[in-house]
Amino acid sequence: MSKNIMLGGNDAVALAAKQSFVDVVSAYPITPQTSIIEKIANYIADGAIDTTFIKVESEHSAMAAAIGASVSGSRVFTATSSQGLLLMHEVLHWASGARLPIVMANANRAVAPPWSIWAESTDSLSQRDTGWIQIYVSNAQEAYDFTIMGFRIAEKVLFPAMICMDGFLLTHTKEPVKIFDDEEIADFIKVKEPRKILDTYKPEAFGALAFPNDYMKIKAAQHNNMVSGIENIKEIMGEFNRLYGRNYSSIDIYGDENAEVSIVTIGTLAETAHLTVDKLNKEGIGCKLVNLHILRPFPKEDLQKALSASKHIVVFDRNISHGKGGIIKDETAGGLGLSNVIGFVCGLGGFDVTDDDMARAVRGVVNGTIKEDSIIGAEL
Amino acid sequence: MKEIGLHGRGGQGIVMAGEMLANAYFHEGNFAQFMPSYGAERRGSPSNAYIRVNETRIYNRYAVEQPDAVIVFNMSLIDLVKIKDNGVALLNVGGSIEKKDSHARIFAVDANSIALSLKLGTPAIPIINTALLGAFCKVMGDYSFSNLSIAMKERLGRNADINIEAGKIAYDSVREL
Repeated sequence: MSKNIMLGGNDAVALAAKQSFVDVVSAYPITPQTSIIEKIANYIADGAIDTTFIKVESEHSAMAAAIGASVSGSRVFTATSSQGLLLMHEVLHWASGARLPIVMANANRAVAPPWSIWAESTDSLSQRDTGWIQIYVSNAQEAYDFTIMGFRIAEKVLFPAMICMDGFLLTHTKEPVKIFDDEEIADFIKVKEPRKILDTYKPEAFGALAFPNDYMKIKAAQHNNMVSGIENIKEIMGEFNRLYGRNYSSIDIYGDENAEVSIVTIGTLAETAHLTVDKLNKEGIGCKLVNLHILRPFPKEDLQKALSASKHIVVFDRNISHGKGGIIKDETAGGLGLSNVIGFVCGLGGFDVTDDDMARAVRGVVNGTIKEDSIIGAEL
Repeated sequence: MKEIGLHGRGGQGIVMAGEMLANAYFHEGNFAQFMPSYGAERRGSPSNAYIRVNETRIYNRYAVEQPDAVIVFNMSLIDLVKIKDNGVALLNVGGSIEKKDSHARIFAVDANSIALSLKLGTPAIPIINTALLGAFCKVMGDYSFSNLSIAMKERLGRNADINIEAGKIAYDSVREL
């Protein structure tokens, strides 16, 4: 029997990892992720789970240990944030290149300097090209559900998966979450895909040198498998939806599909944007929300379909690529070859973004006073 | 939707109180959201937590600007507290206090004395958060004391009983200015 309880995003992720029969956790603390790892350490200390916790001296080592454990066939979980994620950068490529289904939660936090501990997704978006599956969640329920699905997804497509959630706004905000009994979720999570693992009786080398011919083939296969992986990911989501009455897909649409305006965003901005859609619809501006859950592999067809009827596409980015602008705006416009996309960079370093802020921006685009990308919230 | 602010100083149990209050509203059948405000908090510096309560799902993911109701743990912070017109304020006050010209309904309870009488915490750092939640229950009248007790038991385990007692004394002794 599932039940509703009050949980923060971090609590939800830790519980999901506990219920997912994780063999090995290797992690290093960093705000605002730390309480995930503390909770898991408590579960282990209490004997609630049979998981090996590897203590390390840095995030680089945390990922290196996760890679070693995953090569041996273990189900592996870790969590990090911001500076910690960036320190992992080199080994993130190793994990995806070796096709290891590691699952990692990332608490999205601004990158220093200046020092900040608050929400921003520049950290994980700057790791967009490391070959990891990237999933962005908007509330504690999604954090719980997608962490559980994350293991099945990663093991199905044989790529590591990063579950990204806004620091504090999600990690530390508590709200009702529908959680499963261990037995209830076991049917789904106990499924393990067969995969090639380290076998000491049949020694093999890992990370060997590849000459250009082989390297080219391997990297092309990695890309092609990731592209086609979107269908596998949707299959796993479909199975989860059927078993537990959810409605997840690569993108989540709220509002009239044929609305004149589409708001595209990720993370907790998508939560607040529900209110913006309601507000604008009341004013007579037809508006819907497109919440991009899966960024990699890029759900090109789904996004194209969702945006095909839109006259105006407005993207809100709590992240920035200096010299270019919002990264989701770039993904949307560039990824689909669209010219009717206006992007707003907002909420950097945890700066508040309200439904009114977003509504004002959309009105400006609709009435033609805003014609170019801009940054909102830095006017003073 | 109702928005509630808890204002005190690091070490006064603001975050824990906010969590228990959100849980009490949740047990009452509401959708509740607990949003602590994290920064460079340390013992003695201002610490805030916010709660939203609604009948349906809450989508707001930004700070509460002007709550409908506040609990002020420490009167030295009163000038920093924002509240809606016609809002409700519960103050932790020991001695006598007069109401200034205000549209807000203002209530007072001596949470420090209640905590000390039950030996909750020390004279220097009394544990006042549970007494304040008991008083707030009476003031708001929109969550039951039994649901508050459940929330305290979930969070405080074997220390719950004495805290529930503190809450009960405050419930009975809170007064409107």
